[in-house]
Amino acid sequence: MRNPLADVTAPVLDDLIEDDYVRSLVVGVVGTLGALGLLGLLFPESIAGDLAGIVFSTGTAASTARLAAPIVLAGLGGIFAEKSGVINIGLEGLLIISAFASVYIASVVGIGNAILGVPAIWAGFLAGIVASTLLAGVFAVVCIEFKADQIIAGLAVWLIALGLAPFMSTVFFGGVNTPNLGASVGWRYSAVMVVVATAGSWWTLNHTAFGKHLRASGENPKALDTVGVSVSRVRYAGVLLSGVLSGVGGSALALSIGQFVGSGETMVQGKGFIAIVAYLFGNYNPLGTLGAGVLFAALDATQIRLQQLGYAVPDTLVQTIPYVVVIVVLALVGRTRIPAAAGEHYETEE
Amino acid sequence: MSRRDGGRIPGPVRRVLEPFVDRTVAERVLISVAAILLSIAVGFVIVLVSGRVAECSTAAWTMPVTGLGFCYDPFEVYAVLFNGALGYPLAIGEPGLFNPSWTPFNLSFGLTLSETTLLIFTGLSVAVAFRAGLFNIGTQGQLVVGALATALTVLALTSVLPTGPVSGVLVVVVGTLAGAVGGGLWGAIPGALKAYADANEVITTIMLNFVAANVAYVLVLEVFRAEGSSVVATRYVPEYAQFRPWLFPNSSDFALLALAVGVAFIGALYYLVEHTPFGYDLRTSGVQAAAAEYGGVNAKLTTVRAMTLSGALGGVGGAVWVLMSEGRWIESVPDLGFDGITVSILAGNNPLGVLPAAFLFGILKGGALEIGFRTDVPTELVGVLRGLIILFVAMPEFFRMAGRYAGLRSGGPGESGGSGGTADDLDGDDGPTGGAAAPTERGEADA
Repeated sequence: MRNPLADVTAPVLDDLIEDDYVRSLVVGVVGTLGALGLLGLLFPESIAGDLAGIVFSTGTAASTARLAAPIVLAGLGGIFAEKSGVINIGLEGLLIISAFASVYIASVVGIGNAILGVPAIWAGFLAGIVASTLLAGVFAVVCIEFKADQIIAGLAVWLIALGLAPFMSTVFFGGVNTPNLGASVGWRYSAVMVVVATAGSWWTLNHTAFGKHLRASGENPKALDTVGVSVSRVRYAGVLLSGVLSGVGGSALALSIGQFVGSGETMVQGKGFIAIVAYLFGNYNPLGTLGAGVLFAALDATQIRLQQLGYAVPDTLVQTIPYVVVIVVLALVGRTRIPAAAGEHYETEE
Repeated sequence: MSRRDGGRIPGPVRRVLEPFVDRTVAERVLISVAAILLSIAVGFVIVLVSGRVAECSTAAWTMPVTGLGFCYDPFEVYAVLFNGALGYPLAIGEPGLFNPSWTPFNLSFGLTLSETTLLIFTGLSVAVAFRAGLFNIGTQGQLVVGALATALTVLALTSVLPTGPVSGVLVVVVGTLAGAVGGGLWGAIPGALKAYADANEVITTIMLNFVAANVAYVLVLEVFRAEGSSVVATRYVPEYAQFRPWLFPNSSDFALLALAVGVAFIGALYYLVEHTPFGYDLRTSGVQAAAAEYGGVNAKLTTVRAMTLSGALGGVGGAVWVLMSEGRWIESVPDLGFDGITVSILAGNNPLGVLPAAFLFGILKGGALEIGFRTDVPTELVGVLRGLIILFVAMPEFFRMAGRYAGLRSGGPGESGGSGGTADDLDGDDGPTGGAAAPTERGEADA
């Protein structure tokens, strides 16, 4: 008998090198940076010089790594969920809940103490991952078991976290913002986690049986069912992985500062939505997601530095650039191809 | 739809009653009520648990039998939430059931109704798009743009027109129209992108929310900011050009007239969606775009129109926010657009359902303020309840399973709807699942 899985083709992920979209993205970024560096060297006194100084400084690199971690990690998580056929629009909520849980547990353990040999800050880190994974688990049950509409359930995840994190912060600390821990995770850890997670995701998606199942579950669940792999189980794995990765991102975000800020849109401030944008921009490719996430983060970091140097850039307008870029990209350039069965419930055939 | 009461009831009456006796509607109402009750129950547990872990000197509530002390009293929280939102009509803990000094025209009830009024518009905005199979998450942005358009138009008009009640009416009408135009144009963008460039409207509307908030902020900051203002806001609109509170206290920011306009909008939208050719196009392309196209509906144009109408409603919401609540455009725009999504989902995307759903969320908003005043429980609890309600409404299958499990197969009309609901949804009616699943199915098929 023919293997039905052989018909399942992954449109973009099959071969990175032959992917025009990712290649043009990479060439564009490298080209822009190269031109900027050249201009900066030629005219060190001009704004190009300042800009080049900022873009290539370690300070900017550090804050880029800090800002990119939640975007890229949640984006990678989003890929796993959506490739499996579950659109996870609740990434923002997962980031919020893990950011709070990490700071809360770190402060309960107490900086300087250790629990089971794990220093407080890393215990907090793990707690953030657990919290996010639990919430993702609830989302998975609701979507897979109870056939909820994925978009609405994802919004609910965001809204619940948006209410719950400041609520618990007020219960435990008497205010929506937690006090500062007085300790933080360095930006190098964030950078390493981002790179490792990207490479790992790329490998998992492209070179493992699980990756193949994941893609089949989103593209052609019936084929997967026919070869005897449980679609539900694969989708649970995809959604839970999005919880784990978002948890790493949210913990990294909060612990790199050492505080949870819960006022307004909380300290996550839409990074979960930017993460969705990043993986769409990267066309479901982990490397493209890394590129897009770093690009958005670098834009933000550069803008912050420009302010500090006294350039009167309306920061709000600079922050708007990624959103506009996404709309333009969606409309004109790359029609990102969403997995065929994403958003639909799959009924196992007996 | 009239397969059950066919013929016995005269036509017009039946048309009014139909939405209430239809099985899917009964089921939807049942699911919404069950979702609210379940959220309240989960919220109860959350209050209990957090009351146990929080630190306080004296226990607010002691659990009977066990003798455990809790910092928060879960019964008091809900009593304050619902009673307080109405201005304490019930005298709890005092002799007599009703509070003799209560009048409906009190501050708390005014605040509740003010929120209700605003949510009617944003809820209708989301519902109309939903019925066309479009998930408009961008009502917030459309509201921001519409509000700014209204504020600027009214400020410009009042500086040229003479002061007086006649010009006041004119200015309010024109200002509201300006809000509708502003919001409508902003809503047309994702509609056109969806129709002609296949750009998924969920993503584009989320993005346009951020763009609207940022651009409006910069515009007001750099160009239209009131002189000497410590916040980023425009000048105040003169009082004669606002919706004035009659009967209710001034500080409630609630105008009965605006609520009446909102209710009129509900009726108009219901008629438009259910009984006009445009409404037919809207519903058919929401249920099955390809079939609608085959049946002669211009699906692309319908998409753009639906999003424009949706945006215009959001814009009117923004106009009412400026002319009734705030009196000016100010940077801290409340999340009325996002709450509109929750209102619409709870309402099953039916314009008639928007009124009770908006009132419920109005109560939650008004009650949250009272919780802040009267108890130690963090008011963010209400945000959690909001999320839980949406989560539970999104999973009708859970309640059907629970119903089947409890063996409630042939009870009242609600239960019969429960077991027959799946089949009804396949009819392509607009149940929470039907209406909500449609945009994702279409989005994925097209994108």
